[in-house]
Amino acid sequence: MAYNRAPVLFERLRVAQLRVAAIALVMMMSVTVLDVFLRYVFNRPIRGSYDFVEFMLVIFVFNGISTAFLQRRNIVIDLIDTFTGRRFIAALIRITDLMSLATLVLFAYAMLTPAWQAWSYGDRKLDLGLPTSVLWAAALVGIAGAILCAVGALFTPAANRTEHDTADETAE
Amino acid sequence: MSSSVLGAFGVLALFVMLFLRVPVWIALTLVGFVGNAILSGIRPTLALAGTVPFDVGAAYTLSVVPLFVLMGEVASESRLSGELFKAARVILSGFRGGLAVATLAASALFGAVSGSSLANAATMTRMALPELRKAGYDDGFATGCIAAGGSTDILIPPSIILVIYAAIAELSLPRLLAAGLLPGLVLTALYMGVALIVAYLKPHYAPDTENYSLRERIAALRDPWQFLALFVVTIGGIYAGVFSPTEAASIGAAGAILLGVIGRRLGTKDILRAIENSVIVSGVLFVIVMGANLFSFFIVQTHLPELLLDAARAFNLTGLAVMMIIILGYIVLGCFLEGIGMVLITVPVFQPIIVQFGYDPIWFAIIVVVMVEVGLIHPPVGMNLFVIQAQAPDVKIASIYRGILPFLVAPLMLIVLLFWFPSLALWLPKLFYG
Repeated sequence: MAYNRAPVLFERLRVAQLRVAAIALVMMMSVTVLDVFLRYVFNRPIRGSYDFVEFMLVIFVFNGISTAFLQRRNIVIDLIDTFTGRRFIAALIRITDLMSLATLVLFAYAMLTPAWQAWSYGDRKLDLGLPTSVLWAAALVGIAGAILCAVGALFTPAANRTEHDTADETAE
Repeated sequence: MSSSVLGAFGVLALFVMLFLRVPVWIALTLVGFVGNAILSGIRPTLALAGTVPFDVGAAYTLSVVPLFVLMGEVASESRLSGELFKAARVILSGFRGGLAVATLAASALFGAVSGSSLANAATMTRMALPELRKAGYDDGFATGCIAAGGSTDILIPPSIILVIYAAIAELSLPRLLAAGLLPGLVLTALYMGVALIVAYLKPHYAPDTENYSLRERIAALRDPWQFLALFVVTIGGIYAGVFSPTEAASIGAAGAILLGVIGRRLGTKDILRAIENSVIVSGVLFVIVMGANLFSFFIVQTHLPELLLDAARAFNLTGLAVMMIIILGYIVLGCFLEGIGMVLITVPVFQPIIVQFGYDPIWFAIIVVVMVEVGLIHPPVGMNLFVIQAQAPDVKIASIYRGILPFLVAPLMLIVLLFWFPSLALWLPKLFYG
């Protein structure tokens, strides 16, 4: 498959981000389960579990999106594939690779100002006391990785993914 | 150019981009960004584009998405569905079409722990299709049952599409999850009715010979206990107000892992694969929700729903007529859009209109999800059909198309029932939450 031919460095970055997101997901699940258990059994909930889940979710989301960009797993409507040639589809894929990159850069650029404001105002999460700038920093680091993965997609062949792969990625 | 006309152009541009293979999230983001920039200026739009991804990525309410996805992935990896199918085929044996009905029952039960229709169809294809073929079932009929059964997954809670719908339409998630249950069960019963009629009219499609004793049937009732336990604890916990959706999803995911490990159906590799798949699927969903948020801001600013509402009133259309037009629109959209995209593009436009006509937004959400189900199984681009074909490449797509056609009657009958008896969707939310 095309995405297995991604240059090694981009692939390593993708795997690293995937693992970070996976750990965040497991942490999210574990802390919530523990919180429920302690609350109902010992009447001692974990203080700040809500904030912790939000923090883990930020890490999860912004690191979890990288695979979708390097492996071109974002949902597309591929109706046009049935009545156009391979070259045309390859050109469209390449254009959408560039659009993905541009849109991610736009998001990252737009996020800089609120991130800076969060740092300079010194806002903190209510229960955990964690500075919100830490969450913003985690988001920016994650999206920087996603941008690199989107760059990586430009170095992989502009081939279509199989129906099976496309089907697996969607969740409806 | 008025803002409403700009909104109409924005929607048109969105469809053109989608047709040209632009990923759904980019199309939503770009239309939302450019539209907002034209209406409000570049600075406020940049501020919006900076905060929306973070707000979505840090939204506690959306943490339920990856956790429910994980629960479904684990259930899929642990082959719990195999036991479910085995139990259903014993309990529902002894009559023509029994195995087809068992497939539909197993799909509905699997839907009680999985939130993804495609995962359901893929899993049931692996589990049920070989058995259906071994029993001499017609390929088209067998795959039709699996595709139809898989589609009930997005109505029966937990449903990922309902979670995202709740986020985008600002509706209560527990209410939506409660609203989906009865229509999901009714739809399963309707599918079973269709399967029995097909088996009666075309006996060679379903040459059932299996018949188990009463003792064996009672014994088989024990097998699906894990599914029932997971469903009762998670979804029951939400309904009873014991857990928040995130807590229920966490307990469900952890419980599915625990049951899989205890039952020795789940190894470390299976768990890791389930977690990685959950990350990838959720990542795809989250970027779409980010784009949909920008798009929604744009639609709100354009007052496009008000324009459409005025047009409907100018033509003296009744609420029912407007709903019929919307439903026909969904049937057309379902021919070329996938489910999540269909919901995220249309709901910001349609919901304000139907609310003005006095319809309940929770009821409308269920109608929309049923229409998404129709889109998942109707040719030419029903995703469930492609999933089945990908898992069973020796079954011709023409057979699958032929097999699903009779089942399309069921969701349309459900729509009619929902119009006649809105309480089908609204009774449970009212019962649980007042």
